[in-house]
Amino acid sequence: MGDLSIVVREAGPVSVVEPKGFINAHTVRQFECALEEIVQAGRYAILLNCRQLSYISSAGLGAIMGLIETVRERGGDIQLCNLQENVYAIFDTLGFTQLYKVHPEEEAALQAFPAQPPVQS
Amino acid sequence: MRAVPEASEFRLVIPSQTRYLNLVTGLAKRAALVSGLDDPTAAKVSIAVDEAVTNVILHAYHGAEDKSVELEIRFTGQALEIHIWHTGHGIRQDQVHLPDPKEYVKHPRKGGLGLLLMSRFMDEVRFEDSEDRSECCMIKKLA
Repeated sequence: MGDLSIVVREAGPVSVVEPKGFINAHTVRQFECALEEIVQAGRYAILLNCRQLSYISSAGLGAIMGLIETVRERGGDIQLCNLQENVYAIFDTLGFTQLYKVHPEEEAALQAFPAQPPVQS
Repeated sequence: MRAVPEASEFRLVIPSQTRYLNLVTGLAKRAALVSGLDDPTAAKVSIAVDEAVTNVILHAYHGAEDKSVELEIRFTGQALEIHIWHTGHGIRQDQVHLPDPKEYVKHPRKGGLGLLLMSRFMDEVRFEDSEDRSECCMIKKLA
């Protein structure tokens, strides 16, 4: 039904994921697959650019939560940028802003990642 | 000109399928705006409805797609009330245990966040489980 489309692009060592639309129980598998493909390719520096994300429900938060340990164990991280007000409210309400680095813009977010890619295993 | 009734309501029945989530959350957001809530608050109401309907589909009906979920939106003048009914496996108020966000941050895990979002974004969330059907009632006060 076109509720969600996802663009993935590479910015040096960082994989930038841009979801557009809604991440809920109906679309979460598509979001999970996009993240899993990146991790399976051995890329552990992931930036979620949320500028076109209208909302994310707990199903989507669970998808991020399900991968964060794997990614950090391999020296990488999942960070976020360009959160709309209501999306930020969801992350903040649940304390996720303490778990994930949140940046106002993509440029600043990319600089927050190490210049060298995390060690692949 | 006819006087606007103090309380009004409408109902929507959807199949128990997640493809309709976007429809009901869009409706909930519009209803919240019509009731006089501002845009950020209306967005929170729509998320609470998403979580409640998702819980019904995935947990009360265990993913069965041939059931129905009934929503009633009531405008009382003082609050926006959203009632969600289903005939699946319901929960009682005393079975609701909200995770502590501070503990959650210390020990992250998948799941368990929907009820917390509902309780944080609405002023009241109540569950009732009877023999023939179960209800989740969520209330957002106006101002």
